[in-house]
This record gives sequence, structure tokens and C-alpha cells, in this order.
Amino acid sequence: MPNTSFFRNLLENCIFVLAGFSLILTLAPADFQFPEMLQVAGRAHPLILHFPIVLLLLGIVFFFLPSFRKNQEIREIGEFTFLIGTNLAGLTVIAGLLLAREEYDGEALLLHQWAGLGVFVLAILLYFLRSKQASIRTSLSLLVTVGIVLTGHWGANLTHGEDFLLAPLKSETQELPTLAEAEVFRDMVQPILESKCISCHKEGKIKGELRLDSQEAIQKGGKTGPLFLAGNPEKSILIERLHLPEDDKKHMPPKNKSQLTDDELMIIQAWVAQGGHFDQKVEDSAPESELFQFASLRFDKNKSYDFESADPETIKELNNFYRTVHPLYPGSPALLVSYFGIAAFDPESLQDLKEVKEQVVEINMNKMPLQDVDLLFLKDFPHLEKLSLNFTDLGKDQIQAISEIPNLLDLALSGNELEQEDLQLVAGMKGLRNLYLWQKNLDQTQKNDLTQALTGTSIDFGFDGSGISYQLNAPSIKQDKIFFSDSLKIEIKHPIHTTELRYTLDGSEPDSLTSPIYDSPIWMHTSGKLHVRAFAQDWIGSPSSTTVYMKSGLSPQDYELLSPPNERYKAQGARTLFDQVKGKNNHTSGEWLGYQDKDLTVEFSGAELQHIQSIGLSMLYHEGAYIFPPTRVQILAKSQGNWNLLVDDQPQTSTSIQEIRSELLLYPVENKSYDRLKIIVTPIKSLPSWHPGAGAKGWVFMDEVLLN
Amino acid sequence: MEKEILEQGLNLNRRKFLSRLSLGVGSAALGSLLIPDLFSGKSGAEEAMMAALPHFAPKAKRVIYLFQNGAPSQLESFDYKPLLQKSYGQDLPESIRQGQRLTGMTAGQDRFPLVGSYYDFQQYGESRAWISSLFPHTASIVDDICIVKSMHTEAINHDPALTFFQTGAQVGNRPSMGSWLSYGLGSENSNLPAFCVLLSRGKGNGQGVYSKLWSNGFLDATHQGVQFSNSDDPVLYLKDPESMSRSERRKMLDQIAAMNDLSYREFNDPAISAKVQQYEMAFRMQTAVPEMTDVSKEPDSIVKLYGPDCLVPGTYAANCLLARKLSESGVRFVQLYHQGWDQHGNLPNEMALQAKDVDQASAALITDLKQRGLLDETLVIWGGEFGRTNYCQGNIQVDNYGRDHHPRAFSIWMAGGGVKSGMVYGETDEFGYNIVKDPVHVHDFQATVMNLMGIDHEKLTYKHLGRRYRLTDVSGHVIKDLIA
Repeated sequence: MPNTSFFRNLLENCIFVLAGFSLILTLAPADFQFPEMLQVAGRAHPLILHFPIVLLLLGIVFFFLPSFRKNQEIREIGEFTFLIGTNLAGLTVIAGLLLAREEYDGEALLLHQWAGLGVFVLAILLYFLRSKQASIRTSLSLLVTVGIVLTGHWGANLTHGEDFLLAPLKSETQELPTLAEAEVFRDMVQPILESKCISCHKEGKIKGELRLDSQEAIQKGGKTGPLFLAGNPEKSILIERLHLPEDDKKHMPPKNKSQLTDDELMIIQAWVAQGGHFDQKVEDSAPESELFQFASLRFDKNKSYDFESADPETIKELNNFYRTVHPLYPGSPALLVSYFGIAAFDPESLQDLKEVKEQVVEINMNKMPLQDVDLLFLKDFPHLEKLSLNFTDLGKDQIQAISEIPNLLDLALSGNELEQEDLQLVAGMKGLRNLYLWQKNLDQTQKNDLTQALTGTSIDFGFDGSGISYQLNAPSIKQDKIFFSDSLKIEIKHPIHTTELRYTLDGSEPDSLTSPIYDSPIWMHTSGKLHVRAFAQDWIGSPSSTTVYMKSGLSPQDYELLSPPNERYKAQGARTLFDQVKGKNNHTSGEWLGYQDKDLTVEFSGAELQHIQSIGLSMLYHEGAYIFPPTRVQILAKSQGNWNLLVDDQPQTSTSIQEIRSELLLYPVENKSYDRLKIIVTPIKSLPSWHPGAGAKGWVFMDEVLLN
Repeated sequence: MEKEILEQGLNLNRRKFLSRLSLGVGSAALGSLLIPDLFSGKSGAEEAMMAALPHFAPKAKRVIYLFQNGAPSQLESFDYKPLLQKSYGQDLPESIRQGQRLTGMTAGQDRFPLVGSYYDFQQYGESRAWISSLFPHTASIVDDICIVKSMHTEAINHDPALTFFQTGAQVGNRPSMGSWLSYGLGSENSNLPAFCVLLSRGKGNGQGVYSKLWSNGFLDATHQGVQFSNSDDPVLYLKDPESMSRSERRKMLDQIAAMNDLSYREFNDPAISAKVQQYEMAFRMQTAVPEMTDVSKEPDSIVKLYGPDCLVPGTYAANCLLARKLSESGVRFVQLYHQGWDQHGNLPNEMALQAKDVDQASAALITDLKQRGLLDETLVIWGGEFGRTNYCQGNIQVDNYGRDHHPRAFSIWMAGGGVKSGMVYGETDEFGYNIVKDPVHVHDFQATVMNLMGIDHEKLTYKHLGRRYRLTDVSGHVIKDLIA
């Protein structure tokens, strides 16, 4: 063991010098000026304070723990360590007292100061009474240890802000306000000040004479005057300091402290620019402003619900194939209830919902048969906000029950036939935000009364269609076939059952007054063309639908095509024209003979031709595909070795592009005995100028020749 | 050992697949109705994903997507460009086109003569949005919709562009948007599929739609879109056979269930109990579907609202009405396709026919949802797969011209479900060729739709072939300005 008595004596004496110095500093008046040199020493406080903490505690361990005390050498090391620690505690106290004069104030400082002094005094006592009874020694060591911990804690509160230590343990459950409730200062600016600024600018640690922990203090400003100029961020010190380069001495927060993010800078700047108010709502900012955009993402637009969640098992049991009960989103306590399946609806099952009456915010029972179902239980649902009861046959008692729901905001009653007294009940529901009341029996007075009674409610009376007339769509015609040999049944239908269908068989357009009304299927016995239109009140009459029906009583014995059809559209050749099969409305179906470059010429003969009265040609027209009516149709008959021209017709050509359709060209012929017949059909040589393919060659398509 | 585990997994999947296939009721119709946890083998990845769903309140509960297949011209509908009318026949300046690619259909043209809309435009509503005279009904609801004039896409031909819009990738086999939402949010009404598809065809030049557009891709088959038939009988094979009454059917099902129960006790195969449940589901659907598709009880004012075609099965109007009924009954995603918008020629004529098909019923859907208090919770989208060129394809006449495909700028509209109403978003240059303000990429659009449904598009993923896939692939930003 080296001789340490010299140092020990020196250090023991030093303690008294330090104690004296501390006493002077503690008692010196607040305005006493110290040399600047000492200020530097004061600022060393946060540096040196760590030494006495370690040394005093280490000393106590080596010096007083019984197992160490038995060993002479260790005990001496402990004594010596403790002595050095006491000296450094003295130095720390002095530095701390000097620092305290700079810019600290408040309760936390007082606690820290006196606790620190206490530790110093106790350490001195413990050192010099170390050889007395064990009880004194033990109690003093305990006091010193507790003192160190408390001093350190209060000191840390000064530097890092109160509750710094325990902050991580505190839960972050603080609910954000909704967008409608949020305020710019309280909910956006203040949290930034609290996390980034307030640790140095608050009661107890007022750097730059600036406090940011109360509205008054913020308005007052600091050493350099007011913090900001309302509405003028460019001339505000606050904004200037925040924007200085980080290396600048005046930049805030100081280098090495947690800096503001870009969003936070934007928020503070926008707050100052908007006037630096303390009570402005976020919603009062311009919607396109950056501040509002940011806020609208941070704050929920919906109300946040703070009631208890229901038991997940209960929720699960309430779900079945015809009813869903689920949270607004995963984790939300709010429940939405929907009913599906009219046939399976059981009014009794509504009572199950009482189990979650606290949590239900929305119920959808659209179209459920609710007639006479008791809805009174709904008034016990304190958080029910949206109720959808469209098309549910509601009556007065039910409307009464609905009007008693305490916090209802949105109510959908469309499709119910409410009476005057029901409407009066609805008119009393002043808390409604949205009301959907589309139904047929409301008159204008009732609507006006309701609108006046519910000024704060947006009411949708829906579309009733009165005063608007649209054109009906064309009726549909159903017939099994086009060609028939004896008779043919034709049925006509319209999707709207209340329409009146009027038809003609003479090729004229039906009108709403004189044309015969269709009431049952029509039986046709001759070839012809049917036109039908639909009429109804409040509607404009439909365009006409037409169909052809072709009686084909005779068939030739032999036939031949004198000109070959186009390679692509040759179907079954001449047989196609006499097969009694009507081609589909599609020229590529393989049931149509197509000609473009030459005339279609067909010749046929047979015994039955003796009785011929009419010849029909079944044609396909589709201008969009260049398929036009023929320009010329000639029918020639051979009798007694000579060909005679029976028909020479130039059918009307098209004037616009229309839908693909089938047409019948019907020609009566003199009833004479013919040996042989020839038909020549000429396609259009040059499409008219209005057509996209003007000038090109057109087509004819024919699928049948009908002989009667 | 690992091999055995793998094989067991494969067997389970095969059995699962076969058991669903065997039912035959509109194939996937029933598959999607299966109770999700009927099968023990819900994949771990799926559960992990469900847990990862972000917790925020959805603004929309359901989507109705009115897809205008073939790409309607923005220049005759919502993007008013008077300059094009003034510059009729002049060449598209190179400074505007900047050498951007063209389709093979016009790449060979000597020149690109500008052509303006044959139809006049007017401003409507409080938003003062310009709408052409082809869409008078849409104009009447302009304050309920949000027109986006700055959509752009990556594909220049129909099939890849359509596939890109629906699945987020230009090649097939990825899940459709409706499948993703079904996967992420599940079915609202367990008696109906979560994703339904309705087709109609207009009179204009048409382009095909293929079932890959509503495919579940690598997701479970329950998420596949169910195509409804265009007939009086929208879901096939649901009716009881002739001369079989409901009570007889019930007895038959009870007997089958009893037998199945016996074999279940013997073999303990979960597929057997799954089958019992499927029969029960079909039985419930027998009442749920006719209840939902019955239009005979719709009031007269509804027929007038949608137009009389709404009672003719297979028309766009009928599909809009059916879409409302499906959505109202809790179907998450109703996808309509209306074909016939591909006007390479004869545009003024065909476009008028197409617009007449869709204008009234599209607007009616908005009005109808609104009067029932459903518009707030239903997102309606109207638009095609890309736009059309500002220059003429083929012969040019003032009243007869054509437009080629143009992916660089086009217009769509959205309404309800948390979208800002009465707004026009984005701008194109005065030639209507390039976007000059607020571009919206297809992935941005998809991200925004998912956000409105309460889903973070970056978190809804599915691991397949060693990689996590999502609808927006690797890009896409929520367009906050579109959200109310």
C-alpha cells in the first residue's frame, strides 16, 4: 500500500474550501455578477457531474459492504474513492450553482439544487463519521445513494424535459380528433413545440428568455422580441431561426438536437402565415392549402369511436347467412349491421342486436319486410348513426320509434309510402344530417314543408320522372320461322307490360289511334310484312318493329345458277335458294349467296309452276358491310319456247347506314302456265356518295326464292 | 419428409379444386360463395396478409366499374379542345408529338391531320365542366361526378391496355381488381358472389373481352369474377327442374346430407362436409338470386330513369340496373363492360350510337344510388382503356373521320364512395395530346380506388412463385386530391 496520507490530507482540506465556496454561491444575491471565466466553469457542470456519481457510489460499495470491509486494502481504496468523489461533488455543486444563474428557473431547478447540496453535505458527514457505529454509517450511505438518484433525476428533467424518463412507458393511446374538430394550433403546432422546442423553452429552463409552454408566453416572445409577426412568416424570428443553416449558432433547434421535419416546418410556417391564431379550426384553412391537405390525411374524416369493443365471440355468433355484423374496419369498435335475403328474414332476429347495442353505428335493412315489426328497441342504441330502411313498408308506429333514436344522423326511407302524420314525425327529427325520401306519393307542398322544418338536413326526394317523356323502345316480335307453307303464328312482346301494342299488315306505320291493338298471337296465312309500335302514357311512341313472313307453297323440280356466286359466299349453290331455310341475319353464315361483280341469275322449272301467283325474293341488306338493295330485278318466263319479261323492277335504294336486316321483295305474277322461269338480280355498281365506301361496288345477298 | 409434406399439400389443393369444380353451378358462382374457412387449408400467406391490412376506415364499401371497352374518344366527350376544330386538316406539330410511338394502323400515314369534335361542347353545373352534346344525361349529374382528364397508360393496343387496367399488368394471369378487393375485403353478402361481371355490346366497332379480365389469377378461385348471363336467367342452372317442388328439393338435399354425413364420419374428409355446405349454398342462392334479379317490381320512375331498355336483358341499361341491385345486395365489385367504342373510322356516327347506349343509364345509376342513400358508400367509375388521337385516321371529313389509339392522355369519371364531387382534375395541352397538369397513371388510379376501399395498395400482396405481387405492381400513388 503506497503512502497516500499526503493526498488524503490535501483532499480532506479541499472539502472545506469547496463547502465554503458553495455556501457563498448559495447565499449570493441573484444579480451578483461573476467573472465570465466562472461562467465557463459553470457550463462544465453537465460534464463533471458524472464523476461524483460514479465515485461516491463505488466508494460506498467498496467501503461499506461487509464482504469488502473485511479486506483492509479494498476498504482503503473505498475510503479514498469516496473522498475523491466528495471533492468532485463539491466542484459539481459549485459549477451547478454558477450555471443556474444563467437561464434556469423554476421548481425543478430548486429541487435539483437543494438535492445536490444535500448529497454534498451528506457525503462530507459520511466521510468523517465513517468510523462511528454501523447504524450511522448505513443510514448515511443510504441517504447519499437516494440523494444521488433524486438529484440526477431532477437534473435530467431540467435538460430533457419533465417526464422524459417515463415517456416510453406511457401508452400512445391519445385519440386524434376528427378533421372537423381539429384545430391548427392545438392539434398540429403544439405537438411540434412539445416534442422539439419545449425542453429548452419552458418554466424552469427559459433559454433566450423564451417560453413556449403557454399561449401567453408564446405571444410574449423572448429576448429578441415577439416570436412572430402574424400573417408574415418572412418577418418572423421563429421562422427565420428555423430556416437558418444548421451550423448557424442561432439555428433552432440547436445543432445535435432533434430537428424539425419538412412537414413540421410547413405546419409552423402555415400557422404563422394564417395569422398565428390559437383557436383556428383546420377546416377553416383553404382546402387546396398544403396545411389542409396534410391535415386531411392525418385526421380521420370520420368520427373516431371511443366506446368499448364488443366481445368478438358475440359478434361472430351474430353473423349468419342472412345477417352480417362486422366492424367499420379491423380494430374499430363500431359495428355495421346488414340484412340480406327477404325470404329468410326473421323479425325476431332483430332482438339479437341488443347484445351489441352500444357498438352498432349502422343498420341496413333495405327491402326487408318490416311491416308491423316492433322497432322500439332501436332507441336504446346510443351510437346508431345511419339507418337504411328503403322499401320496408313502414307505418306510423315504426316512424315514431325511429324518431326516438337519440343520435341518428342519416336516415334512408325511400320507397316507403309515408302518410301526412308520418311526415310530421320525420319533420321533428332535427338532428338528421341526410334524409333520403324518394317515394311516389309526396306532393310539392309536403316536400316544401319538410324542407322548411329540417333546415339543417340535406333531403333527397329522388327522381319521380314526372314531366319527362322519353321514347319507348321497340317491341320484340317472336315467330318460329319466316317461311311457312300453311299458316304462321306471330307473337309480339314489350318489356314494359303496361304498353299498348298497335300493328299493321299493309306496310304502313302504325299509329296510336286507328291501328289494331295486339292482344293475342296473330296467325298469318299469306306472305306479308308486319309493323308494330308500342304506346304508353307519359311516353313517346316507340319506333316500329317489322318482320316479314313468307308463304312458300311451291317448289321447283330442277334449278341451276347461270352465274357463279362469289367464292366466299357460294353457300350450297342454287339449292340454297329453294331449301326453305331462312338465313340468319349474318351474310357469313353460309346460308346466303353473295354477288358483287356480276348479276345473280337463276333458272328453274317444275310442274307446280303452273299455278304460280307470286314470286318473293328473300334479301339481306346491311349498308355498313356494303350490302345494298339490288338496282334491278328482272323475272323472265319461258312459255312456248319464248322468253317474256314478267317483272322489271328497280327497288328503292338505301339512303343511310342501317342495321343488318332481312327484306322480302314480293312480285305478283300473272297466273299462267310457264315452262321455265329465270330471275336476274343486279348488285349496285357504285355506292352512293354519302357512304364511306362511295364509288365502290356493292353486294347483293339472297337466300331464298319463294313461289306461290 | 419435406417431400411428403409438399405432396400432402398438393393433394389437398387438388381435392379442393375438384370439389369446387364438381358443383357445376355457374362454375365459380358457387365457389366464391363458399364459406371461407370451410377448408382447413387456408394458406399461411393469406392469413398473414389479412392481418397486415391497414386499419383505416373505408370511404367506399362497394365498386361499380362501368368499363367502356374499345376506348371512347375523350375529344368527343369530356376533353374540349376548340383549337382542334379551328385547326381542321392541319398537321399535328412535331413539337407536340415528339416522335412518340403510333400503332401499326396509322404509323404508315403520310400526315396526321388534326380534327376537332364534330359535336359541340357546353359547360355544366357548378363545376363548369365541359361536356359534349353526346352526353346530356351525364351533363345533368356533373356536380355529382369527378372528371379526370389526365389519365395515361402504358399500352397502346386494346388487349394489353384492358388487361393493364384490370389486373395491373399487360400480360394476363394476374388477379383482376375485383378479385383483389374480394381477397382483401371478403364478401358482404354470403349468399352472392363478391365479384360479378356483366357484359353488353353496342353498335360501334367492337373489341373482345375475355374471361382473363375477371380472372382470380393466382388467388384462390373464390375470388374469380362471376359472369352473369345476358338472358332472362342471369345465373344458369339455379331453377328447380320442372315438376320438382321446393319441398321435394329440400327433402332430397336432407337425404344427401345424411348420406354425406355417414361417409364423413367414416373418412373424416373435410371435402365431404364442404360439399354439404355447397348444396346448402345452392339452395339459398335459389331464393337469393331471383329475389335480386327480379326487375318486375321496379317502380315506373326507375324504368324512366334508366330508359326502357333497362328491362331488356343484355343491354347496357339493364346491366346498370342489375349492377345497382347487385351492389345494393352487398356485392363488393360489379364490373360492367360495354363493347363498341373503337372508332377508327366513322366516328361521329358510331360514337353517337354508343353514347346513346350508355349516357342515360350511367347517369341514372348515380341518381338512383343517391336517392337510396347509397352513393356515399358506392364508388362508380366510368371509362375506357386509353384515349384516341387528336389527328384523323384514314379519310378526313368534318362529319366523318376516325381516331387511332392514344395512351398518353384520356378522360374517365368517378363518382360517390369518397371521391370529390363536382370536380375536374388534370389538364391536357391545347392539342389534347400531352398531359400538362396532374397526370394520373393507371397504377395511381388503382391505388386510389383501393385507398377509397380502406386498403393500402402496397400492403395488399400475395406471395406467388417466390415473389409478392400486388395490383399496382411496383408503382402507384394515391391521388389525394381526388379524395373528398
